[in-house]
Amino acid sequence: MTAEARFPVEVVGGVPVVVTPEEIDITNADELRAALSEAAAHGQGRFVVDMTRTQFCDTAGLHALVAAHKRTRTGGGQVTLVMPGAGVLRIFEITGLDQVIPHVATLQEALAPPPDAPQFL
Amino acid sequence: MGGGEVTAQVDPDPVEARLRAIQSITDATLSALDDRELLSALLDRVREILEADTAAVLLLDVSSGQLIATAAAGLEEEIRQGVRIPVGHGFAGRIAASHQPVILDHVDHTTVLNPILWTKGIKSMVGVPMVAAGRVIGVMHVGSLTPRQFTADDVELLQMAADRAAVAVQSMTAQSDRLAAAALQRSLVPTALPAVAGAELAGRYIPGDGAVGGDWYDVFTLPSGELCVVMGDVAGSGLPAAVIMGRMRSALRAYALETSDPAEVLGRLDHKMQHFEPDAMATVLYAVIDPALDKMHLCLAGHFPPVIARPGQRAKLARVAPGLLIGVFAEARRPVTTVPIPPGALVCFYTDGLIERPGEPIDAGLGRLCRAVTAGPADAAAAAVMRELAGSDPARDDIALLMVRRRPEQHVNGVAAKEDDGDG
Repeated sequence: MTAEARFPVEVVGGVPVVVTPEEIDITNADELRAALSEAAAHGQGRFVVDMTRTQFCDTAGLHALVAAHKRTRTGGGQVTLVMPGAGVLRIFEITGLDQVIPHVATLQEALAPPPDAPQFL
Repeated sequence: MGGGEVTAQVDPDPVEARLRAIQSITDATLSALDDRELLSALLDRVREILEADTAAVLLLDVSSGQLIATAAAGLEEEIRQGVRIPVGHGFAGRIAASHQPVILDHVDHTTVLNPILWTKGIKSMVGVPMVAAGRVIGVMHVGSLTPRQFTADDVELLQMAADRAAVAVQSMTAQSDRLAAAALQRSLVPTALPAVAGAELAGRYIPGDGAVGGDWYDVFTLPSGELCVVMGDVAGSGLPAAVIMGRMRSALRAYALETSDPAEVLGRLDHKMQHFEPDAMATVLYAVIDPALDKMHLCLAGHFPPVIARPGQRAKLARVAPGLLIGVFAEARRPVTTVPIPPGALVCFYTDGLIERPGEPIDAGLGRLCRAVTAGPADAAAAAVMRELAGSDPARDDIALLMVRRRPEQHVNGVAAKEDDGDG
């Protein structure tokens, strides 16, 4: 189950994209953390986390994402999450993080953000 | 040591002597010792085979970046005086920083930081790094009171002993952390729930598969007669998470005594955490139930809302406005939602370990939970939920569950009062 739970980092149009697996929990949160650092290092402050496939993310996973968000913001950059309506977005609503970390529904939007993107905390 | 073996004999064959030395370090009988005994037995043997006068182990304290004298043979004062050597400085510090053995044929204040070594009269030293999982966890060194030249063979033998010691130390640390975390966790989750007239309480806590995780719950009453329920989940696991959990639990109790507004309690908790534990993050649910038990005032910090089962109705997720996790954003404001609790209703509080199942969206888990919760006696309801949701698979994550049931209306003159099942 977690054997294939890797976090590949692809570069699309110059922007690093971390692709997350179905489940993010305490068993693979360290790998997520490592992938986020890698993406941050390559993206000059701007990168995308594609969570389209992700159904579940526990506090360990959320912690890694919040830490990456805080770090990039301090450096003037931005992490954008891709979360379609169903799936993991529900967990972000429950935890209030949907109001904090910028997110969009598709990878396309994440790679080409409109000039007046919605404001997040 | 070892009693009265025959006189020491000069070994004519250096190859055989070396094999004997290796055998002495790798000796399987050492494995029967516990880790601490193994460390001191190894040092005795190292001193013997290298014909050294002193042998010592210093372990790295990661938080301070210092090596701390932990075990010694012929150099016990190092331990008693709590010698600490910064990584990168002096003899042991250089070994730890470079991951390389160091041979010293000249011991004084210019080469060695620890005055015990030169005042004791040590003339020559050799030390090697202790490495576990690619990281230096300490240094093992031996010293001689007479000048001598330690050789590459000596280094190799010492490294073998250090490797074995590293494994012992690693398991010693892991085990003591595990025990401490489990003990702390046990002390944090109340075994005896408070007795509250008109209410029934039942709790379950199942630690996850590997290390103890960061889930906890707490139930207490306030001087006002209000009944308070806390469910929390600290990100992380093991001893660090358990320590944070303990701090959050006692801070929350203190704030609960100061104000009955649950949002204020969580706001102060968040403020405290962001100041003193800036790297911590947690979800917390805090519910204040009126003394009459007829309603609860709920505030969520990133936690799942409770499930409520009213008599004669299907259990539902309580409609509670969400609020931000603890540890994310300094000025987070969280709404309070008041939820009525009719007589006979049962409220089910839980952590996400209960509803997580690989490959499933969270709503499926929540649906399963709602189907499993019934407005019956609290303990039976808790047992049923654990049976349906935890089953017999080992839990990957902690599971915490707490049921609070408002008893059905009292019997009046031997006649049961009507059960009121529709006040939501």
